[in-house]
Amino acid sequence: MNDDILTLYFYDDGLSAEERQDVARALQSDAELAERYRRLCDELSSLKAPEDEALPPDLAARFHDTIDRAANLERGREQAAPPRMHFWSFFWGAAVTAALAVGIGIGVWFGGDSTPSATQSTGLIAEASVSPDAFVRSVQVHFRDSRAELNQLSDISAADRMILVASLIEQNRLYARAAQQNDADDLARVLRAFEPILVQLAAEDIAPTDAEALRSQLAFELDVMLTKLSREPSDETDSI
Amino acid sequence: MNRFAKLSVTMLLLAFSAQAVAQSDDNEELKIAALEALISAPPERAMPLAARVLEGDHSDEVKERALFILSQIDHPDAHGMLMSTARNADGELRDEAIRMIGISGNADALASLSTLYTGGDEDVRDAVLEAYLIAGDEEAVYELAANAQTDEEFDAAVEILAAMGASDELRSLRDRFGMSESLIEAYIISHDAESLMEIASDNSNLELQAEAIEALGIVGGDEVDAALVDIYRSAATEDIREAALDGMLIAGHDEGVLELYRSSNDDAEKKELLEYLVIMGSEEVWDLIDAALEEGP
Repeated sequence: MNDDILTLYFYDDGLSAEERQDVARALQSDAELAERYRRLCDELSSLKAPEDEALPPDLAARFHDTIDRAANLERGREQAAPPRMHFWSFFWGAAVTAALAVGIGIGVWFGGDSTPSATQSTGLIAEASVSPDAFVRSVQVHFRDSRAELNQLSDISAADRMILVASLIEQNRLYARAAQQNDADDLARVLRAFEPILVQLAAEDIAPTDAEALRSQLAFELDVMLTKLSREPSDETDSI
Repeated sequence: MNRFAKLSVTMLLLAFSAQAVAQSDDNEELKIAALEALISAPPERAMPLAARVLEGDHSDEVKERALFILSQIDHPDAHGMLMSTARNADGELRDEAIRMIGISGNADALASLSTLYTGGDEDVRDAVLEAYLIAGDEEAVYELAANAQTDEEFDAAVEILAAMGASDELRSLRDRFGMSESLIEAYIISHDAESLMEIASDNSNLELQAEAIEALGIVGGDEVDAALVDIYRSAATEDIREAALDGMLIAGHDEGVLELYRSSNDDAEKKELLEYLVIMGSEEVWDLIDAALEEGP
């Protein structure tokens, strides 16, 4: 049983109930495997962002304030003659967009259950260097998650697609920054290259055929990177 | 299946693929699966196969997948194939080759993109900027901005520098070419309050000055909040004063507006400030309204 399976088991992600039971049985019956899993848990747990680092209160407050102000502005326009507003619409668009992005980010960080997730761990790895093996494994999990989420795109509404892709962009950006800080320039470039494709995928008016072409391209590139990252270090000398 | 078995299958698939051109979608998927397997091959085996795909009568989609494989091979021949496709192909395949040069990060190939940019159309220029964004090559984008032939080229390069967070380069551009709306937007995106404050205090172009003041509100922060109050108080024109007020509204600095309200002796000004406080949802605004209503005629 390889570390990838154990990593997915740790994150409670990507394995079926049956596969999880298989892993649990193997861990009970194989002491060597159990010891390897314990070491892996220690390593992955060290990636989890502590609460005070994970929670960006200033961003959360700013997000809520901006939304409140936008709502108040709208109410003010309806109820009373407002003061002259000659600032560009761009500003409000940018402010609300930024607030929504932060909101999505907060959702990514704090949404879901209490199970540790790969996205929660990005907060810490984006800020500090971690062991190369742990970093690569976390990127693998990110690629796998992204791959799985891409598969859902064709089955959901345009609005849900935009939210899903926005969260993928947010996570991707964190990993790109983490790759940069961990001196993994090649990974950083690939992660940055995904973003323009994801941005196109988020477009409200994208034609289904264009969306499928972009999804297919991303799926291929993610698969290739997963294969590349999963190679044993000993293979590095005689393969790409 | 072990790696060598996979590779053998891949080679067989690609060898026969020339005869299987214009077959069904299944066939297309098979070719793409074969290309995916190439990532496990040694470079000296993978490169000729990828080259054969690029030279063969395959769809652009299949060729684009081969380009991605080449982007992951750190070898001069792979870089050469990407550059050759970027120079000689058309349309999306050319643009994709340029993107892959960004992913490969090869310095020589990246440097040669500037020639393509100069002689290319808008699509090529956009692709080159994206490649530099992917590669994180801030200096190359700065050079393109500095040597832009049109305002559109300048604005596009500035937008990429903003996305890269290249504050030093964006400041250098203002030093060399003066301020512009695109630079103000770039300073917002790169959260460069210092540059925005400099523009906000420069009254040589009132329109841009007002935009920079409002932009400060988006960047936000304690220093910005204090500066906006100062700008309001020292404003020489009504437009600048309103810009400062709008900046405080955007920043949510209701304490600043409240401070201005309390220090004002002008009823018209107090009325306007009160309206802003209502819009901003200031908690103290109801006390102020009570106080205003309590005052005699």
